[in-house]
Amino acid sequence: MIQPQTLLNVADNSGARELMCIRIIGASNRRYAHIGDVIVAVIKEAVPNMSLERSEVVRAVIVRTCKELKRDNGMIIRYDDNAAVVIDQEGNPKGTRVFGAIARELRHLNFTKIVSLAPEVL
Amino acid sequence: MRTLATAQQCMNPSFNRQSFLPQISFNRSSEIFRSRPSLLAPHIHLSSEGTRFPVSKSQRRPQNNVSGDTDDMFDELLEKYGKVVFQSNDQKSPSEEANDDAESLSFAVALAKVANEVKGADIQVLFVKPLVYWTRFFIIATAYNMPQIDAMRTRMSDLAEEQFARVPSGDRSPNSWTLLDFGDVVVHIFLPAKRAIYNLEDFYGNALSIELPFDSQSSYRN
Repeated sequence: MIQPQTLLNVADNSGARELMCIRIIGASNRRYAHIGDVIVAVIKEAVPNMSLERSEVVRAVIVRTCKELKRDNGMIIRYDDNAAVVIDQEGNPKGTRVFGAIARELRHLNFTKIVSLAPEVL
Repeated sequence: MRTLATAQQCMNPSFNRQSFLPQISFNRSSEIFRSRPSLLAPHIHLSSEGTRFPVSKSQRRPQNNVSGDTDDMFDELLEKYGKVVFQSNDQKSPSEEANDDAESLSFAVALAKVANEVKGADIQVLFVKPLVYWTRFFIIATAYNMPQIDAMRTRMSDLAEEQFARVPSGDRSPNSWTLLDFGDVVVHIFLPAKRAIYNLEDFYGNALSIELPFDSQSSYRN
């Protein structure tokens, strides 16, 4: 359940470290974002000497949430942090590697690129 | 899959065990402890061969809302009958899996041929099934400009639809990294710069590379 003002970790090596959500893309007036939703975020902390800098506005896909993700078969996945992967306007991830286990749902939401960069898919 | 009780309901000792069998279903193999039906519900006549009460290992962790009796019961059963690893119902026999792999391979090689016809460079077919579970083959190709990417993408989609009756998901318009997801085969079409940046072959370095019946390395541009 990510909403504006939520701080998220960054799960890739794009150069950003922490993002703050400022808007949820999709229907207007949407309250919360979950795994697989695209958000607009501002970079609050960045690794020095990389392409992304602090206070830059980017788009990101949420890949981990502390709010559990329920599947139809009864499986529930709950992570320990909220994290996102920075993407560009074309939908390609800005980083080249993704960290952490990625949920299978991202594949069905047309983020197979992120899934193919993931070290583990749950 | 039958609709059965949730794990939470099963852990509740007062839950009516007569109507429901506890259910944990996972797509991959999960550990399930076998228990004799007669111990849990002595008034129900069930054959011991076909019926099991599968219970997942996670239920054995002590929870605040579960009485100690249930934990003791499971411990008892574990000691009596030992641990049985249960495989989900959708697992196929090795011969069937090999057949599926062969089908996917022929599909992947056909798509790679299409990429070659469109003058794509550095076409690689990687067998990634041992590394990832969500797909079988990767096809990675380089195209030099957007119209070429578009041509490759549409030709592959058309071929898949006509000959193999498969519709891809993924990018519907050309992209510097265009992805077509056919389920067991995933096609990546890169611009040369992007291919070097993402370097998927390095990430999947342990994957077996499939030999293609044409010269996939030839590129008339350098």
